[in-house]
Amino acid sequence: MNVIKSVLKEELANSQAMKKDYERELARLPKGSLVKKKIKGREYYYLVVRKNGKVRFTYKGKLCDKEIEKYEQAKKYRAKYRKLLSQVKKQIKFLKGTLRGKKPV
Amino acid sequence: MEKSQYKLCIEVLRRLDKAGVLKDTVLVGSWCTLFYREYFGRTRYIISLKTRDMDLLIPRPAIIKVVIDVAALLKDLGFVVGFTGSKGYIRLEHPLLIVEFLVPERGRSYDKPYALPQLGLNAQPLRFLDFLAQNTITVKLEDITVTLPHPANFALHKLLVLTKRPTTEKQMKDKEAAVRILKALVDKGQGNLAKNVFDTMPRKWQGKVKKQLIDVVEEKILAVFR
Repeated sequence: MNVIKSVLKEELANSQAMKKDYERELARLPKGSLVKKKIKGREYYYLVVRKNGKVRFTYKGKLCDKEIEKYEQAKKYRAKYRKLLSQVKKQIKFLKGTLRGKKPV
Repeated sequence: MEKSQYKLCIEVLRRLDKAGVLKDTVLVGSWCTLFYREYFGRTRYIISLKTRDMDLLIPRPAIIKVVIDVAALLKDLGFVVGFTGSKGYIRLEHPLLIVEFLVPERGRSYDKPYALPQLGLNAQPLRFLDFLAQNTITVKLEDITVTLPHPANFALHKLLVLTKRPTTEKQMKDKEAAVRILKALVDKGQGNLAKNVFDTMPRKWQGKVKKQLIDVVEEKILAVFR
């Protein structure tokens, strides 16, 4: 039983470290999402960011493909990392619960 | 084991293979115990408890000529770079799998990560890993050929480094894995092979292994090393 417990403890420590690492990676990604608007036949970009519960549009104007790609990638990775972070949080909850077991009355 | 975990492991190995890194590595650690199933075939073999971390040993780091950013190679699978301990050993983390790199520690002990600039990583140097790399087998996992230490080397190495393991539980886990593998080897009729490997070990190492086997109840395992 102790062997299983020690493996679970090790996995809990791994998941806790992983949680921090995913949070760090998420914080590193550029904030917001790019929105393309067509005004008088021309395309302009706005960066949409949620700040203090409000949605703010920041004018970015015309952007090069590289910049657009950067935000697209960030959007993709944000979704991926959030999903994986949620998985890690569930693991932590499960492992903590399993290790705690039934408390003696 | 989760199917998705196995799939992810195969995908990681496939990418490393395509990048030309896998051929210069030996898969060590608890994941070996899973892949030994292929080696033992019909022989009764019980897989030991394994953790999420998959250790890849690079026996001769200098021979790796490919230049590839391994972290970037696995990024789209959701792997992030993490660091273990206070020394800064890099590992690639995913909720289902953790990939770590090891190199054999030679000469005077140096408590620092071994830089692998070709791979954009570092590796943890550990003692006695040469013993794992000196006698290997290959197994076919789907379409990938993976190099593993020979089960005899794996089991004897586990017993050799047992006292260096940080906790009693880890020692118990490793000993159990080693005994299961040795038992499967004997059942497969490869007891002599295990003995031959044992005979290649320096006397001091043999003593350490024998010491660990004293309380093993399996008579047929003890008979091999007498």
